[in-house]
Amino acid sequence: MSTATRHSLRSDQSEAFTRLTDGVVGVGITVISLSVLAVGRVVTGDTAAFGLGAFEWIALALAAMGSTVVALGVGSFVGTFETNPEERGTVGPALGFGGIAFAAGGLTASQTLGLPLVASLAAALVAGLAVGGFVTLAREDLGTTLPAGGFALFVGALVLTDVLAAGWTWAPEGFSVTFPGYMVVPVLAGLAALVACWAAVSARSGFGAAGRQSAAYFLVGLNAIGMLVVLATLILFIGVKGFGRATQGIAFDPLALEFRWPFVMDGYNFRPDQPNGVFPAVVGTVWLVIGAVLVGVPLAVGAAVFLSEYAERGRFTQLVEVATNGLWSTPSVVFGLFGYAFLVPRFGNTTSLLAGMMVLGFMLLPLVTITSREAIKAVPDEYRDASAALGVSQWETIRSVVVPTALPGIVTGVILGVGRIAGETAPILLVMAGGLRDDAPSVLGSFQFVARPPFVVNDALLQSAPALPYQLYATITAGVSGNEEFGWATAFVLLAVVLSFYAIGVGTRIYFRRRLQHE
Amino acid sequence: MSKATSESTTTAERTTTGETDERVDPEWSNYEFEGTPKMAVEDLDVYYGDDHALDGISMEIPERSVTALIGPSGCGKSTFLRSLNRMNDRIRSARVEGSIRLDGEEVYADGVDLVELRKRVGMVFQNPNPFPKSIRDNVSYGPRKHGDLETGLLARALGRDDGDELDELVERSLRRAAIWEEVNDRLDDNALGLSGGQQQRLCIARCLATDPEVILMDEPASALDPIATAKIEDLIAELAEQYTVVIVTHNMQQAARISEQTAVFLTGGELVEYDDTEKIFEDPESQRVEDYVTGKFG
Amino acid sequence: MRISNTSIAGFEGRSVADADRGVLLTGLVGGGCLLVAFGLFLSNSTLTVVPVVGFLGATTYGWFNHQAATVKSVTFLATVATTVVLGLISVFLIARAVPVFQHMGVRIFGLTDPVRVFGITLLPGVGELWSTSGDVYSLTPMVWGTLMTTVIAMLVAGPLGVAGAIFIAEIAPPVVRESVKPGIEILAGIPSIVYGWLGFVLISPFVYEHLGTPGLGNMAIVGVVIGLMALPTVVSVAEDALTSVPNSMKDGSLALGATDWQTIKGITMPASFSGVSAAVLLGVGRAVGETMAATVILSNVVKLPEPLYNVFGNTISLTSLIASQYGNADGMHMQALFAAGVVLFVSVMVLSVVSQTIEARMKRKLEGQA
Repeated sequence: MSTATRHSLRSDQSEAFTRLTDGVVGVGITVISLSVLAVGRVVTGDTAAFGLGAFEWIALALAAMGSTVVALGVGSFVGTFETNPEERGTVGPALGFGGIAFAAGGLTASQTLGLPLVASLAAALVAGLAVGGFVTLAREDLGTTLPAGGFALFVGALVLTDVLAAGWTWAPEGFSVTFPGYMVVPVLAGLAALVACWAAVSARSGFGAAGRQSAAYFLVGLNAIGMLVVLATLILFIGVKGFGRATQGIAFDPLALEFRWPFVMDGYNFRPDQPNGVFPAVVGTVWLVIGAVLVGVPLAVGAAVFLSEYAERGRFTQLVEVATNGLWSTPSVVFGLFGYAFLVPRFGNTTSLLAGMMVLGFMLLPLVTITSREAIKAVPDEYRDASAALGVSQWETIRSVVVPTALPGIVTGVILGVGRIAGETAPILLVMAGGLRDDAPSVLGSFQFVARPPFVVNDALLQSAPALPYQLYATITAGVSGNEEFGWATAFVLLAVVLSFYAIGVGTRIYFRRRLQHE
Repeated sequence: MSKATSESTTTAERTTTGETDERVDPEWSNYEFEGTPKMAVEDLDVYYGDDHALDGISMEIPERSVTALIGPSGCGKSTFLRSLNRMNDRIRSARVEGSIRLDGEEVYADGVDLVELRKRVGMVFQNPNPFPKSIRDNVSYGPRKHGDLETGLLARALGRDDGDELDELVERSLRRAAIWEEVNDRLDDNALGLSGGQQQRLCIARCLATDPEVILMDEPASALDPIATAKIEDLIAELAEQYTVVIVTHNMQQAARISEQTAVFLTGGELVEYDDTEKIFEDPESQRVEDYVTGKFG
Repeated sequence: MRISNTSIAGFEGRSVADADRGVLLTGLVGGGCLLVAFGLFLSNSTLTVVPVVGFLGATTYGWFNHQAATVKSVTFLATVATTVVLGLISVFLIARAVPVFQHMGVRIFGLTDPVRVFGITLLPGVGELWSTSGDVYSLTPMVWGTLMTTVIAMLVAGPLGVAGAIFIAEIAPPVVRESVKPGIEILAGIPSIVYGWLGFVLISPFVYEHLGTPGLGNMAIVGVVIGLMALPTVVSVAEDALTSVPNSMKDGSLALGATDWQTIKGITMPASFSGVSAAVLLGVGRAVGETMAATVILSNVVKLPEPLYNVFGNTISLTSLIASQYGNADGMHMQALFAAGVVLFVSVMVLSVVSQTIEARMKRKLEGQA
């Protein structure tokens, strides 16, 4: 019985078929990109090429894609193309297409025809069930291509017949928003192109399990690319907008060994004729980070050592674990409130740099504890056993074997943690404040000895100080108009500082992981 | 009766590149067996990066019998096994040269459907790896994924539920894997709750349910206790009546007990000798093989 | 085999088998000093510095004379400190918020009009939702604002993040994976005020101009921005969960002739379901606690959107309430802000505990097969 049905190992599609599907995907990706640009108003309805507007081009492309996709499906169904579809559709696509039909039917009934709610719902249900049912019951090739192609043709026709034009508007009842045609057209077009591409990709692999895999990979891959593009655009945008102002006037005199970087080395002088800088904020951020590291890191590393080396798993470690994870996810503004209630009254009742340091140190505590614990746990127990077998005491083992081995991991955790707290705004908002200033806090120069307790005072620590993230916030609250350039440049410097911490942290982690694996 | 066959399969033409005299001797690996060849391997080289894991292997695997692959660890026998159903494709640095044919069809050709290949060439792994699902779902996993059986709410609503057929298939597969009696009252329990030996037989049942032609076994009993091992060995002997079984083992007694022919791989990824199991263990041609099977090295 | 010889000890000395007097004494002095210092600091005394010096002295002495015991006790104290910080946060937050809870009772979540079912008043009305002159503080608008923005954020970050994780963990070729994963981790570091800045100067005006919203800023923008911000975190944690599924399970599925995608859907996703949902919950926690983006994008009016589901309406969130009003708040008003903090804190704690429980369950499940 094992050889009753023997399929060939290979499954090949004809070249024409593959070329058609590739064509649909190529056109589709162009339409999607154009639509994204149109939503961002880079391309508008007025953008024209070869005598046709951008929206007409998009609509024509959709129509062509739609008819090709339908042709592919029918060709597969009648046997022109050799494919391997299932006898009926699967639940996912049925739900997807049913959902689209439900929304389209309902919206058309209620918004265009003005039917009452019940009638609209009924229309939506009928449309959704009809399409969903068709996708489920029809053979997979038809069930995939007909609705997908139909959707593309439908959207293309709406635009070409000017039912849906740039000037068209839709203000859904109950929402204080008006969708203009020049936004709705690209969104719908992008969606239709995506669906048509999905169907074409499935067809390219001959439908069936292989087709579903290709189609799913197409969507998942596109999502990943989209995600990276969006995030990279954010960073690039800030770079482009802020770089010029932030690097304005950099000068280096090699003879006098004098380096000037006005934006980073000048203060905020409130004079309209001189450009402002962020020097005090940079210094403030540096002090904040130093203070937070002094407060948070020893505690965190100590706790990590105790938890993974001394403590036995039990109630106590569980409690500490819950506490560290809880602290890890505590919102930063709550840390701010805590500092406001706990630290501010104890440091002379004003917002102060010291309070900022301590609050950020408390925030750093769970971040470093968790990463250090993981680093220490990753040290193989064989090392400990080998050391113990040589008669070395537990503390000597920790000091000379465990901590040095785990050190790269601990350092990485500290760097990543510092990156996170350096960009925090909400806590220092409440406990440190400190707006736009001309002079930097001088912490080292402010230590004074006094005769009464606490014997050592430092005014700079007990005053508020500026910091980069807070500076950006202050720029917003001070009213952006006229100051926008300064804001972009501040955002750029802040982003550069924080992301360098992250890049260094992630980089060291990869480096040490590789080294550990190669050993 | 078939020769182990066409000119190209013989290793005689291969040039003597190595310094050892044995590896190129055609007598020992150009073995003629009774029966039809199911899979034919020709000049197979596998590299992991710069590491040459298999060095010019050529052999044919007869249908409906048990072929054992033995050798010391690191000799490439598992690599060879994983090449047969292209599981090596999963290892990113792996590179395969040469030819493997299943019933005359090239396994490493362009456009080969891995799904189809693995349906026909099933595999049982060294460590039992049941899915964290119920016993029933484990067994029916393959057929359901291949769309052979339809279950679920939708299918039931459409009156196309293959539930009965599925139950039959589950029972048949579990019976054939000699585990039905032990689990028939708890088919809906999580498979991870079974003992190691039961888990391995479940994995065999899972493999049988997809109705393969060849079953590859990678040291299927090495993680099991002696009693469970005995059960698996009995099972393998039975399976050979219907299926082509290729089994990797480092346990020579096991190979002697259950296999009809044995291929000996030695360090460096070379196939040194391939012959009837009896001959390999009683009167091998190669001195190195004799040393190995008598325990002088390995 | 770990070499831990004792259970957790209190202060130094107790844990050491040959408890000699020096260790015990140092421990008592150090521990005593620390307790006194903590007490003095709580009572806001400048004398705190004296016992702190005492503690440092005892520790220094211990380091040179009884190093092993000293280290063990100091690391134990550091561990306790972590727990104490969480305790202090809870105590100080709640203590400040209690008066306003007492003052408002259930009306802290009240609506303008009383809620009645069959003539029985379930929730008395507050008339005005937020009035510093009338000392009326209902947190309903902020809770609603936080809820709406979080839901929108998770609709963005949840599906896209999980899909992104699947791509990195299962689909991407190794070269792509090795460059994209660190990239995503770095992107997780973009500070929230930077997102806020972008939302404030770019997106809000854009939406105002092209979508005809009544004013600058609305919940939909905040939700999308927060969703983008949480995206890298969700991707990164979900990816870790997906890769923790043993390869042997995936091999088992592939060897049966399932496609990669069937293996992802049928084996990898179900096996890592708890880990992935913990990742999403973590993202929810992030979104709930996100402050700066909401503060600078929303116009922070204390009212409910009209109608409630109008995501293009303006309101305020728990976090932005605190950040935008702390400056001119005192007395009961300030306590009301603390009440908002308590609500935030409690909901995030619940999320954290739930996600930890889920993760522990996944670990047990996957270990069960070994």
